[in-house]
Amino acid sequence: MSFDYNEVVAKVADTLVRAGSTFREDKKEAYRRAIASEELPRAKWNLETILENAEVAQCNRSPLCDDTGIPHVFIEVGPNRAVTGSLMSAIQDGVREGLRTLPGRPMAIMGDDKARIDMSGGISPDSDALATAPFLIKEVDEDVLRVHVLMLGGGPAIRGITHRIFHKHSIDVVLDEIVARTKDATKMLGCTPCAVAIGVGRSQYEATALMMEAMVYGNFGKQSPMEQYITDKVNETDVGPLGLNGKTTVLATFMKVGPQRASGVRVVAMRPGCCFEPRIASVEL
Amino acid sequence: MEIKTITAPFTDEVLSQLKVGDIVNVSGIIYAGRDAVLPKIVEMIDEGTLEQNDIHLQGSVIFHTAVSPAGVGPTSSNKLEIEGTMPQLTAAGIRMHLGKGALKKETIEMFDKYNAVYAVIAPVTALLNSKVKAKRCVAHPELGMEAFYELQVEEFPCIIAAAHGQSMF
Repeated sequence: MSFDYNEVVAKVADTLVRAGSTFREDKKEAYRRAIASEELPRAKWNLETILENAEVAQCNRSPLCDDTGIPHVFIEVGPNRAVTGSLMSAIQDGVREGLRTLPGRPMAIMGDDKARIDMSGGISPDSDALATAPFLIKEVDEDVLRVHVLMLGGGPAIRGITHRIFHKHSIDVVLDEIVARTKDATKMLGCTPCAVAIGVGRSQYEATALMMEAMVYGNFGKQSPMEQYITDKVNETDVGPLGLNGKTTVLATFMKVGPQRASGVRVVAMRPGCCFEPRIASVEL
Repeated sequence: MEIKTITAPFTDEVLSQLKVGDIVNVSGIIYAGRDAVLPKIVEMIDEGTLEQNDIHLQGSVIFHTAVSPAGVGPTSSNKLEIEGTMPQLTAAGIRMHLGKGALKKETIEMFDKYNAVYAVIAPVTALLNSKVKAKRCVAHPELGMEAFYELQVEEFPCIIAAAHGQSMF
């Protein structure tokens, strides 16, 4: 083992707490722009309240939302760095420590397969009983070992969709179907404005992995033409902050397109991230 | 913007004056429950066991939230087990359902029969924590964070999203 186990645990724990309690500066700036552009007083007030909540959460290092989310770990690995089983164990311990500190909402369901599905096994009272989702590991050119912790809430999980689109050799067909799915999702979500995450791949697994990558690398201040198109079209709905009308249904769209197969179908994963998402923080090990 | 403060449990007179779009601060004693426990509260209504558990729904509020060390914040009110229990809970006395997300037209029409309202609250857990002055589990503690709680709250910032047959959705 060529790393300090306790140091990794402490760094990952701190990263999880930051993910659950902090808005990055590009997100704060997106909120400020949205507040300035809203004309409806209650829409403006809703956005101001969400931003004020973020400032208080950051100051207290306390949860932004009571649904503190399911921990997801995304690791970037440079050419001369390695992810070992021991390192993954240290990261897992860091996640558990972070959940105890934040604190994470105790929402892990106990029991066997059936009991975990129908909840008959009961809910663990421990914040750190919440298992981490399977790690995603990506090789990068930069000589770095960087861990990103994302906390994914339940509301966007209810409204997200991973499903194929027949593209008909037209980008418009694909984008308009994504817009239609996102419009339906944001209407029911309740905790808008969204950061919409989209992955386009060859399988459900690949599309979802790309969607996660989109959340990791997305920046509220930088929108590609396709991302801006989706954002603008969904904002025409007047769903607005908290679903109570206004211009700002979506703050930004983060889209990652992977390799594609010779076929008439594209698999698209869409997650309408809530007003706090992506809850993400990063650390170099 | 004018912000009214109203104290739960509510009288019919207070409820009659609420309009869609009003921003209100809710104070007083309210209840908290969500997916797992609300169907069990409906069972308690049917069995007539609420009063013996010191639960009084008349004029009161149900905030659709978990109660945990992480704090409180609204879950989606349009989930099957939450919106699906609103008719029985309203008939039993609840006059404000507090959560987030769009509700069905028939649910909003049902509220009007009872002079009940639906209010939306932002999921601003960090702000709400200082506004929860006391909490007490009043039913089904075995459900952990999904148990039924009584909360004493001070100035919860809410927006009336449905009242008197009108809504924002």
